Amino acid sequence: MKEAATFPEKRLDVYTEKNFAENEEGYRKKKWNRRKTIIVLLIVAIGFLAAVCIGGFFCKEAAQVTDFSRKNLPPCLSYPFGTDWLGRDMFARTVRGLSISIIIGVCAATFSAVMAFILGVVSATMGKTADAVVTWFIDLVMGIPHMLLLILICVACGRGLKGVILGVALTHWTSLARLIRGEVLQLKEQIYIKTAKKLGKSNLYIAMKHMVPHLLPQFIVGLVLLFPHAILHESSITFLGFGLSNEQPAIGIILSEAMKYLVTGKWWLALFPGIMLILTVVCFFTTGENLRMLLDPASVHE
Amino acid sequence: MKRKLLAILMAVCMTATFVGGSTAVWAAQEQSTGKDEVIVTMPTTSEPEAGFDPAYGWGAGEHVHEPLIQSTLTVTNTDLSIGMDLATDYSVSEDGLTWTVKIRDDVKFTDGEPLTADDVAFTYNNCRDNSSVNDFSMLKEAVAVDDTTVEFHMNTPFAVWPYTMAIVGIVPEHAYDENYGQNPIGSGRYIMKQWDKGQQVIFEANPDYYGEVPTIKKVTVLFMEEDAALAAAQAGTVDVAHTAASYSDMTVDGYDLFSVRTVDNRGFNLPATAAEEIDGVTYGNDFTTDVEVRRAINIGIDREEMIQNVLNGYGTPAYSVCDKMPWYNEAAEVEYDQDKARELLDAAGWETGDDGIREKDGIRAELTMLYPASDSVRQALAEDTKNQLTELGIEVTTEGVDWDTAYTRAESEPLVWGWGAHTPMELYNIYHTMNETGLAEYSPYSNETVDKYMDEALESSDLENSYDLWKKAQWDGETGITQDGDIPWIWLCNIDHLYFVKDGLKIADQKIHPHGHGWSIVNNVDQWSWE
Repeated sequence: MKEAATFPEKRLDVYTEKNFAENEEGYRKKKWNRRKTIIVLLIVAIGFLAAVCIGGFFCKEAAQVTDFSRKNLPPCLSYPFGTDWLGRDMFARTVRGLSISIIIGVCAATFSAVMAFILGVVSATMGKTADAVVTWFIDLVMGIPHMLLLILICVACGRGLKGVILGVALTHWTSLARLIRGEVLQLKEQIYIKTAKKLGKSNLYIAMKHMVPHLLPQFIVGLVLLFPHAILHESSITFLGFGLSNEQPAIGIILSEAMKYLVTGKWWLALFPGIMLILTVVCFFTTGENLRMLLDPASVHE
Repeated sequence: MKRKLLAILMAVCMTATFVGGSTAVWAAQEQSTGKDEVIVTMPTTSEPEAGFDPAYGWGAGEHVHEPLIQSTLTVTNTDLSIGMDLATDYSVSEDGLTWTVKIRDDVKFTDGEPLTADDVAFTYNNCRDNSSVNDFSMLKEAVAVDDTTVEFHMNTPFAVWPYTMAIVGIVPEHAYDENYGQNPIGSGRYIMKQWDKGQQVIFEANPDYYGEVPTIKKVTVLFMEEDAALAAAQAGTVDVAHTAASYSDMTVDGYDLFSVRTVDNRGFNLPATAAEEIDGVTYGNDFTTDVEVRRAINIGIDREEMIQNVLNGYGTPAYSVCDKMPWYNEAAEVEYDQDKARELLDAAGWETGDDGIREKDGIRAELTMLYPASDSVRQALAEDTKNQLTELGIEVTTEGVDWDTAYTRAESEPLVWGWGAHTPMELYNIYHTMNETGLAEYSPYSNETVDKYMDEALESSDLENSYDLWKKAQWDGETGITQDGDIPWIWLCNIDHLYFVKDGLKIADQKIHPHGHGWSIVNNVDQWSWE
């Protein structure tokens, strides 16, 4: 808003010499615009997440190793996050745990988003009955408390990796599905769609050729914004003991184990993994939000 | 923006739960003021789910202890021999099928009604029909012959019956219904005054108690986790706080660490048969079916080091399920010898492969060591076992499991168990075969000679003499369940029960605690005193 407003004013003064110099500087400054900031932020966030994922891959063994000769060490140079009561390296465990979380998050969110996309499109294009059924499902899933449904599905699917992914996937698709349905309903009224219809194009053709490209930005942003939710829910469900089994270095497990030892003053067991979890979640958020700003022209007004 | 806020909020909430969790529990508790009152903490799992009814596990369940509210016929002494409570005398017929017990005639329930042989007979018949936790199938019928004589007619001889009599609290026939557990009436040392489920139970001394007058008049038991118990001790709000080895390096002002020797053992099973699938469940394990493997594992584990590592030194090495009990056979004891363990494996044909893991006839020397996911001590034991067995060339992966799958999976894979009770029946439960399968219940194993000794021990008419037979079941010089025998279970350690005890409180001598870090400590709370 601000930039758009100031632009024409400056143009009027463009010919005075003094202003020309100032303007030159201003122009150079402008080169570093929000778009670039966003891209840099994006790269940093993605870099961090990639580092965690790759680190997690290499920490697989280290995260499991127990060594009683080094138990309960506070943070030091060789163990930046300290060690726990089994002498496990908390740094390796945290990185590994986060990478597990990210993988689960990506799987669950992708699954969920694809489901949302299909259901959203189906709901909007396949007639009233389909719309009623899908909307009813959305209301049903949204009506049950999130965490409860998640626990139910997870336990019913036998916990573990499969349970958590299915649980998160089956509970998170609703809002995105709703969004996409609304978007499609709006699109259907557009002249070019109507024209295409009048020209005798099939529904499938219209959906694939005209609608999908239009929906893609919303879909991608929705997908990325699902990650942090999925990760937080994965860790909370594991924290509560309904998720992953506890020999795995999942972040929820680390936190729930740490809780038992907080009272003895072993703060590092919870602090660093907690901070790392928050960092990861924030990274995904900034990625998602920035993507939205880049892809959504309307955000210029914010 | 809203989502961002939500995320931050969730993160804050998660951190807050850590800090908040432990404080809430003890905030409500008040400090004990009088010098004849104590406040004791216990794990939340010690709270009797079905109430204080002996038929549903009070005193007589998985974790045996004295029922406090009710009297028992016999008691176990500190040396685990049998003493008398309600009973004045008991005897058993030559064939072991009839037990005759004489009881005191001066005992009253706390509602004023006298306790008679009818009540005793009623209690036992009720347990036989309804007990959800104990096996009373050997009892045919309990009959009150007169007011002070009870006869137990047995289906099969059961020489260890006095140990059963030591844990079954006698309930009043006239005041027993389905709600008894919530509002128990007994004739024991204490009366249950108040029970706030999920929080606490308050006992007051029974003024009409027939035995010695309890010195502690009021006992409050708080149910909480170990971290909350430690916080409560640090706040000075409790007199005895149960704690775990991982907290034993903490010092709490005004409290001393009190440790009790136990037979609360931890060990793991090694399926002794070859893998075979029956009705979708795998029984046996192709690696541990080799007796030399089991022997190598038994001597290849350094128990002392394990106790230092996992228990901070608060424990004793275990070699059987019944260490220190009168029926324990010392032949079970072995010395740690890693080299010999390697030799055993080499001699048995388990050759070290390229990756350092042994192999024989295409079978890799690998195990999945299971442990109950909620138990950090057993997890640590499993991890330490893994480290030690890796040195022998055995590949171990650990896995946390829930109890609903643990029993089935233990039929083919080792699981870290906890056992230990004041009765030789523990041996029977673990090593004796079942009729249906011909294998022992918890881990596939069978040995006719071992079975025979245990059967004979149960048929024996003299309890003291039957100890010898129980010992022979463990090792008779030729066969058994020890190192030189079949060694189907490896025993690691007995875990000391640890408590923070407030200065000035004198806890009476404890008998060796059985499995379960709960009620055993207050077995003799009536004899505790303040200085």
